[in-house]
Amino acid sequence: MFKKLGNILAKAEADYADIRYEVMKETFITFNGKELSRIGSNITDGYVLRVLKNGGMSSVAFTKEEDAPGAVKTAVENAVLIGMNIDKSIKLAKIPVIKDTFLPELKEDPRKIPIGEKLELVRKYNDIPLSHDKIVMTNIGYSEVNREKYFLSTEGAEIREDLITTSLRGLITSKDGNLTQNIRVGSGGSDGFQSIRNLEEKLEKRTGLVLDLLKAEPVKGGVYNCIVDPNLAGVFVHEAFGHFSEADIIETLPAMREKMEIGSQLGNEVLTIIDNATMPDQLGFYKYDDEGVPVREVQLMKNGVLTGRLHSRRTAMEFDESFSGHCVAEDYRFAPIIRMGNIYIEPGTDSFEKLLEKLEDGLYIIDAKGGQTSGENFTFGAQYGYLVKDGKKAGMIRDINMSGNLYKTMMDITAVGNDLVLSKTGGCGKGQLNIRSCNGGPHILMNNVVIGGV
Amino acid sequence: MKQLLAKAKKVCDQAEIYYTESEETTVEFRDAKLHDIESNYKSGYSLRIIKDGKLGFSYTRNLINPDDLIKNAVNSLKGKVEARYEFPSTITALQLETFDPVLNDLTSKEMVAECSRLCEIFKNKTDAEIMMVAGKGSENLRIMNSKGTDLSSKNGSYFLWMGLTYPGGASGIRRTYINKSFQTTPEELINEMIDMYNSSSNVVEPESGKMEVLFMPNSVYTLNWRTLSGTSGKSVYEKVSPLSEKIGLKIFSKKITIFDDPQDDTHPWARSFDDEGISTKEHTIVENGVLKNFYYNLEYAEKLGAHPAGHGYKTSRWSGDSISLKPLPSLQHIKIHPGNTSLSEIIKSIDKGIILEGVMGAHSGNIPNGDYSVGVSPGIYVENGKILGRVKDAMVAGNVYETLKNVVTVEDKTHYTWSGFFPAILCDNMSVSTKK
Repeated sequence: MFKKLGNILAKAEADYADIRYEVMKETFITFNGKELSRIGSNITDGYVLRVLKNGGMSSVAFTKEEDAPGAVKTAVENAVLIGMNIDKSIKLAKIPVIKDTFLPELKEDPRKIPIGEKLELVRKYNDIPLSHDKIVMTNIGYSEVNREKYFLSTEGAEIREDLITTSLRGLITSKDGNLTQNIRVGSGGSDGFQSIRNLEEKLEKRTGLVLDLLKAEPVKGGVYNCIVDPNLAGVFVHEAFGHFSEADIIETLPAMREKMEIGSQLGNEVLTIIDNATMPDQLGFYKYDDEGVPVREVQLMKNGVLTGRLHSRRTAMEFDESFSGHCVAEDYRFAPIIRMGNIYIEPGTDSFEKLLEKLEDGLYIIDAKGGQTSGENFTFGAQYGYLVKDGKKAGMIRDINMSGNLYKTMMDITAVGNDLVLSKTGGCGKGQLNIRSCNGGPHILMNNVVIGGV
Repeated sequence: MKQLLAKAKKVCDQAEIYYTESEETTVEFRDAKLHDIESNYKSGYSLRIIKDGKLGFSYTRNLINPDDLIKNAVNSLKGKVEARYEFPSTITALQLETFDPVLNDLTSKEMVAECSRLCEIFKNKTDAEIMMVAGKGSENLRIMNSKGTDLSSKNGSYFLWMGLTYPGGASGIRRTYINKSFQTTPEELINEMIDMYNSSSNVVEPESGKMEVLFMPNSVYTLNWRTLSGTSGKSVYEKVSPLSEKIGLKIFSKKITIFDDPQDDTHPWARSFDDEGISTKEHTIVENGVLKNFYYNLEYAEKLGAHPAGHGYKTSRWSGDSISLKPLPSLQHIKIHPGNTSLSEIIKSIDKGIILEGVMGAHSGNIPNGDYSVGVSPGIYVENGKILGRVKDAMVAGNVYETLKNVVTVEDKTHYTWSGFFPAILCDNMSVSTKK
């Protein structure tokens, strides 16, 4: 394979070029209610070529081998066109040239499990919510994405790495009269099939919650102090803060870039934030990014002070900071962009009871339900929550959506719990989907949160 | 493809092949400077087979060995996915004008030149951080099945997305312009963006409460997404639609008419057949506030005993890859009928309210129930018909089945957005939460 890729690269008259070829095997099993709606395994493949020439850089993705000469020509032409139209030439940070094959260790290799066994497991999970009266629908699916990646560069890098992602995820819908409620369920990981075994209890618990939601009160809109659970804390740190640690986002937003200067006090002193994709056994694990750079642990914030950010080779040069190995593509259809690997808030010392005591009156909000940022403003939903009165959990609430300003909210995080939970399923959409996007945190206390109620 | 179909037919009762070949080039400007040019050439096949009322499905990029594709489909038959429908026999479909050959001549250089020109205009007239993406794309599509259907189409498009971002945030005024081939960006559109941006450059902090909200075309999808969830044959079948029993009843204000218009080939991406090879036609969902129809693909039409009218598309809510997706009920060419008041007149009529230029979080919340709760991105505050500035950190919340009963005015024009052609819609008695 590398020889074939080498022949394609050899035709690119460029200052630098790299090519990535991937074979992707996907297995999907999906239930909609009692009905199995999809099952099967399929293989697809394709190439991404990147070219740096005369200070411009461009990429072409293609799926037919015979399109390679045309792709090389287009990439070179477009790189030259960019070079002619920009003031500052694009340069890439120097990195160690690596030749390596990295096949991850799996506790239980999903590729060795027959599809029939997978089907029966998913069916068993799916039957759990459906055995309850007021559950009207389930959408539960198994997905297994095995990417076999081959990366070759004109600098001499030659890397083969496999990424094997297993996940079970779904939505359980309850209905009473005209009111429907739903809740998400999910598990999975990068280290094998065992990550989706033994989920019966979890399914029962989620089913109980979505039935309880039929009786919960819609939250009243307003400004609240909130305890945010680890799942929602993880989504917050990913969505609201993490994306602005991605150098390719702030690079071209001058005002934001000025604010995100290393050394600035941007958060409360209780906040320390890390991205560490090298941590084993978590969803975001990988060894090399799609530029052939070994990924490193990056401390993004320490005690509220900005200490680092995530880079591609190009942005590391642009910011004059060290490369970090965070330039990653969804698959062979895309050129890589900067992505978080595994971002989390470092736990502090407060127990959950202590946080309740500190909160006194407010909300305890749990489990993220979609999030979005637009510059310094963010919005996301919580799947459910509880009112808190005098430091005690009270009635269940639903329809919770929070919105806020990044900088104000980072200052308004006044206490950090002593637990840490990392997410088991991912799905960050930044033009491309990243199913291995991992995030997490402890329970945190967040003051002055705008909650939009009906 | 014919050989593949013939081979596939031998192992099943019915077979269908979907083939797509597409190319796209995009030119991206960030902070008013050329940032990137990317190209993409993709092709691939999907195969659906039906045997004894069960479905087999497979796909691949490169048809090196057709037997592998057939084998994967046959293997998936073992899962026993129900498929009681029949593939259609569509012998002819209307020939639409979906590809303008002039598009072939459009170069990256010309797109760079147009973006540079626009950036200069915006730089001179605003203090915004300017983002822009121009692109051209084309797709060849062919659908064949064992019932004799053999349809193909070629679609071409030129698009331009422009964003004027308030410094320090990333929210701002965004517009999209599309055509079947390159056209110089209309001055009217450029000026509308500049005016909206400049009139909202200062930040105001109104109090929470009930007020009017003007859903701009870019925000209308918040409402439409929920309506489409409620009217999809899939939701009806799954019993999660609150509209199941409401055909013929008034669900919205009489000012609201929502319909699918797939054959309008004055715009790109018109289709005379869907991804299952069924002929398309205009399809009304809501007419003057009255619920008229749900929409189905083959599968859900069969399940509910309805007639499939060409609404099966291989798309997903997020990016997705058409060859790997099953067709689902989908309205790809949705329009909301315009009213008869100009945008400036509507704004002048607002006593107290927010122009919702864009939203955040439309994908969260209880969509089947029709609930939404979105961050303004941005929201522009109006009092006594005058724009006072923009609001940050505010949320607009409601339920589509309430909101669209309270329609005050519908704009007299529709605008292209990624989710359809929509006018601006002014609604009353909306709940807005701010920090005050």
